[in-house]
Amino acid sequence: MDLFSNLALGFEVVWKIIWWSPSLLPGLSIPVPINLLLCFIGCLVGTLIGVLPGVGPIATIAMLLPITFGLDPVGALIMLAGIYYGAQYGGSTTAILVNIPGEATSVVTTLDGHQMAKQGRAGVALGIAAIGSFIAGSVATVLIAALGAPLTRLALLFGPAEYFSLMVMGLCFAVVLARGSILKAIAMIMMGLLLSTIGTDLETGQERMTFGFPPLSDGLDFAVLAMGIFGFAEVIKNLESPETRDVVRQKVGRLLPNLEEMKQSAAPIARGTVIGSILGILPGNGAVLGPFASYTLEKKLAKDPSRFGRGAIEGVAGPESANNAGAQTSFIPLLTLGIPPNAVMALMVGAMTIHGVIPGPQVMTKNPQLFWGMIASMWVGNLMLLIINLPLIGLWVKLLKVPYRLMFPAILLFCCIGIYSINNQPVDVAMTAFFGLFGYALIKFGFEPAPLLLGYVLGKLLEEKMRQALIISRGSFMTFVERPISAGLLIVAAVVLVVALLPSISKKRDVVFTENS
Amino acid sequence: MATGQPGGGRKVGIASQQDFAGAVFLIVIGLGALWASSNLAMGTLRAMGPGMLPKSLAAIVVALGVLLLLTSLKVEGPKLDRWSARGLFFVLLGSCLFALTIRGSDLPFGLRLPAIGLIASGPLVAIVSAYASPETKWSEVLIFGTVMTAFCAAIFKYALGLPIPLAPWLLGY
Repeated sequence: MDLFSNLALGFEVVWKIIWWSPSLLPGLSIPVPINLLLCFIGCLVGTLIGVLPGVGPIATIAMLLPITFGLDPVGALIMLAGIYYGAQYGGSTTAILVNIPGEATSVVTTLDGHQMAKQGRAGVALGIAAIGSFIAGSVATVLIAALGAPLTRLALLFGPAEYFSLMVMGLCFAVVLARGSILKAIAMIMMGLLLSTIGTDLETGQERMTFGFPPLSDGLDFAVLAMGIFGFAEVIKNLESPETRDVVRQKVGRLLPNLEEMKQSAAPIARGTVIGSILGILPGNGAVLGPFASYTLEKKLAKDPSRFGRGAIEGVAGPESANNAGAQTSFIPLLTLGIPPNAVMALMVGAMTIHGVIPGPQVMTKNPQLFWGMIASMWVGNLMLLIINLPLIGLWVKLLKVPYRLMFPAILLFCCIGIYSINNQPVDVAMTAFFGLFGYALIKFGFEPAPLLLGYVLGKLLEEKMRQALIISRGSFMTFVERPISAGLLIVAAVVLVVALLPSISKKRDVVFTENS
Repeated sequence: MATGQPGGGRKVGIASQQDFAGAVFLIVIGLGALWASSNLAMGTLRAMGPGMLPKSLAAIVVALGVLLLLTSLKVEGPKLDRWSARGLFFVLLGSCLFALTIRGSDLPFGLRLPAIGLIASGPLVAIVSAYASPETKWSEVLIFGTVMTAFCAAIFKYALGLPIPLAPWLLGY
């Protein structure tokens, strides 16, 4: 029954009412459900920015991070969660309407979603995506609430060695899940780890690789790196090819799927939810695999697989549910273990730290209001997406027709203001520009930037835990294999890596990623 | 580049230009990091010094670069794409100008850029970066940049109260 009392506490936080007396009308006070309002605004602006083609959830969140600064931590995190779901949903909208995936996870949605849009069924595609996401999100919310407590207890058993091995496992998953050559993905992880060592050494206070440049002594800001690689570099890349954005000209059509379509989608939604939820929990960006897995499964199970790729509603319903379920359950490693499983969650860590909350097992015990409030707001956020987006689809279509030549200066302006506002440091903007160049080089050399970001995110914690573990073990690496949990995690990591390197599997892996992109 | 001849059916030397360039990139960065961390103490495994991890990671990056270099000579792969100098230059120039002018900055040779605040830096970013696209129409950019700046000023400065300077020379903040 703990679960329900905890969720009740969460909903209480979400429903918090403050009395607002406008200074213009003395004597009057209006009840404002402040957290609900923040969640609403977060979902709205998250979708607004997320809909812009070429702006994925990472850039969206980095851009919108500063708007949460003036709030109390609970409100800020609720709003951020709203922004996150909004950004995710905005990405699906772009995928369906313009055939441009905002990020890896909505690649699959373009396959059948855009076909449906071309057949004049864009409304239904968006509708089923929203409904599927809502159902998946609801299930995932309960899952987080249920798993939160036991996993937190498990986390307390973890020593430095276990943490180290868990992160190594996460990084191995990230290598396997990256597109393209495994060698290059490993190089990106190492590069990310290397970048994370820039700055003052935690134990000796010595400056490392800062070149005597003062802004580097605190280390690179994650938002700077992420915005450079995922914001600026993307803009430059998009400018290369002359614009060929085919926004659907057909009617959007009715939004609500009919009974027949609901029946077709019910099972894919259920399967997608399960697949996505499980994969999302994996450290190392497992969530990215959810939509691919769901799509492949639906195609295998279908009576007539040839419909896929030509506007099959199952090909939207399943992957979209998996996407949202994974997006949500990827909060689990963050909230219980304090380990961000992907780049978006790493931004969440940054946001939480700014508000004085260190993610990890202690959040739930020390700050239950925040923990359960955020979980309850996830469900509310999903509901809100359903309510606000369906009537607003017309607006998104109009927004998508804004030509890129106008859009990119605005995106850059937003990025500049956003980055500047994080620390009020102009030099951060210049460093972001530098990493824009760096990110563009990575794209040109065929490196995938996502593993780099994950390596960077885990780098500091990885080093800290490794040093602690080695101090405890008096310099013996055996500690990582002598402790059973740690050894188990390392074995999983090794198996995953070896399996991915097997020639037969690696060929299949190539097929999965190239067929779908 | 050895594969540069147009229409040359036989490839000599480098089989994957992209991987070759990527490998050189890795090696350069790794060597740079090795050099930058050369003054840091390694320490021992029992008590790791500040240099242990950066040096080992840099060495691994160099090693991976060499490995990639070797495979790029053998395994066929994509060619190196052309870089779009125009987009790169103006996008980066625009954002650097924002960094330099939002609060003013000192340049070498005793020059100083004034602090022009968001009111002027905002349109500056929009206009300079707009050069990046050949499709840009100037009247459009001018109006759009101004409107976007006003919009951002309203949100970030007035609604959210972030301490971003608006126009120190005009408003005093």
